[in-house]
Amino acid sequence: MKTYIARRLLALVPVALVVATVGFTLIHLAPGDPASVIAGPDATGDDIARIQRQLGLDAPYHVQLFRWYGRLVQGDLGQSIFLRRPVLEAILDRVEPTLLLTLYAMLVAILVGVASGVLSARHHNTVTDQALMSVALVGISIPNFLLGLLLILIFSVGLGWFPVAGYSPLEYGWLRTLRSLTLPAFALGLVQSALIARIARSAMLDVLREQFIVAGRAKGLAESAVVYKHALKNAMIATVTVIGISFAILISGSVVVEQVFNIPGLGRLIISAVLRRDYPVIQGVVLCIAGVYMLVNLAIDLSYLLFDPRVRYQ
Amino acid sequence: MSVVVLPRPVTGRRGTPRWLRLLARRRATLIGLALVSGVLFVGVLSPLLAGDPLRIDVARRLTAPGQTHWFGTDDVGRDVWSRVVYGARLSLLVGAAVVALSFVMGLGCGLIAGYYRRLDNLVMRVMDGLMAFPAIILAIALMASLGPSVLNVIVAIGIVYAPRVARIVRGSVLVIRETAYVEAARALGASDVVVIARHVLPNCLSPVIVQASFVFAAAVLTEAALSFLGVGVPPYVPSWGNILAEGRLYLQQAPWLVLYPGAAIMLTIFGLNLLGDGLRDLLDPRLRGIATERTN
Repeated sequence: MKTYIARRLLALVPVALVVATVGFTLIHLAPGDPASVIAGPDATGDDIARIQRQLGLDAPYHVQLFRWYGRLVQGDLGQSIFLRRPVLEAILDRVEPTLLLTLYAMLVAILVGVASGVLSARHHNTVTDQALMSVALVGISIPNFLLGLLLILIFSVGLGWFPVAGYSPLEYGWLRTLRSLTLPAFALGLVQSALIARIARSAMLDVLREQFIVAGRAKGLAESAVVYKHALKNAMIATVTVIGISFAILISGSVVVEQVFNIPGLGRLIISAVLRRDYPVIQGVVLCIAGVYMLVNLAIDLSYLLFDPRVRYQ
Repeated sequence: MSVVVLPRPVTGRRGTPRWLRLLARRRATLIGLALVSGVLFVGVLSPLLAGDPLRIDVARRLTAPGQTHWFGTDDVGRDVWSRVVYGARLSLLVGAAVVALSFVMGLGCGLIAGYYRRLDNLVMRVMDGLMAFPAIILAIALMASLGPSVLNVIVAIGIVYAPRVARIVRGSVLVIRETAYVEAARALGASDVVVIARHVLPNCLSPVIVQASFVFAAAVLTEAALSFLGVGVPPYVPSWGNILAEGRLYLQQAPWLVLYPGAAIMLTIFGLNLLGDGLRDLLDPRLRGIATERTN
């Protein structure tokens, strides 16, 4: 088990190195000199030279790259050109709404997804099953930003139950925060729940055919004990993978959904940075999200230890 | 473009190719095929079906759907029907180009990584690194460097999906390179290029082709998302994402700006997903049994 964890941690190193390199190279992909792109079309030669010095762009590529690694190891993501403050600070300022939105959406996705998947499997090939799976099929075809707009049309413009847009920070009371995040979380979570439902259903169906389920029924266990205690735990192995993947998708999805609901999170930060060509901020946000994404994938792999004893004794 | 080498269709008694009968057996696949053909029809014939999507008529801004403007007009009086119809054309272009680009890059990297074991680690670590970024985030970052244009959207989304294709190809190549027929070809003195092009490539295609429909759908979605966020194609280009971005600002006055392009995206993605499921069952014989079991 220890070697398994060590092996997984070690495998992260090359990936992290590539991620850092890609993050660095992004700025050099821009046609022409990045400094003149940042400075804009009206910049003088002095301006461009100043930005070049400021970003260390006057050094050779490989020197810049190693400086970049060095700074990353120290947790230094550089200075924002437009905001005139450290990138890490700007990111930490914006983490709260994105994190809360992602977690809320995760909750929606798991609750709706696992529940309808299990329900579908228990009532395999009935009207319930077909109806749920049809809804799920339509669900995976709706982009989250479109669902967000439709939810606003119905529940804010039409019924007036929720604010049209905006975010209420935690310091003004968590209930208001919850209310401001409900529509975005459903826009984000429902789409993922469709995916989770499909996987949970097929995992559950596979498990329900196993011998130990027959044995459980034969020894007279209640159906609920068979389904929820024995079958669900085994079906969770496949489901946890997709839940983990969903979490990763939700982080990036929140970037899009924030734009729909005017939520001042990481998504709005990166989009405004793109429009202002504030490259250090773009790099910083991209690296942070990729870092979280990598850690989530690690967590998925390690969670097998919990759910699947076969991995544990390898 | 990658050339698809399909086996000669084995014809049944009624003369219908076997693959066509298998495809037609599932109603869901047929619905998907119909939807995708519909989008294809609208996209190819857009000049015949709609007027100029760029014509501005400020006097008629935000007109509700009616006789002259079936889908209404937007905030500068452009005809939404025309913009949605030309949006289909853009989505098809982006989808097809991304599939072609990501397949060429993915097949190249996958074949090299799978066939030449020494390069495997290097190529696949780079692919892993690219896949460590969530798709939309990497696309946004690439767009930030490349600048807004249709071509750059295609390049950015193509780069995002190429590693996913490469991983599947590499997996198949690892199996194929150990088979007897590859060994036989090598024993007969065939060069690596010949072995890869004649023996490995055709045999690793079918699991990849299955992905085409899903990559297409993902490309359409990603383009719409990028344009919606304002970092995709330039704002004047008729794109479903662009119309939705305008619609967001006029949700109360002009819900048609969201509803029609939204329906277009949904039906397209829905159709591609159904078609993709059908193709997977058809082209992946291992799954065929499961598929029939599921329809029963």
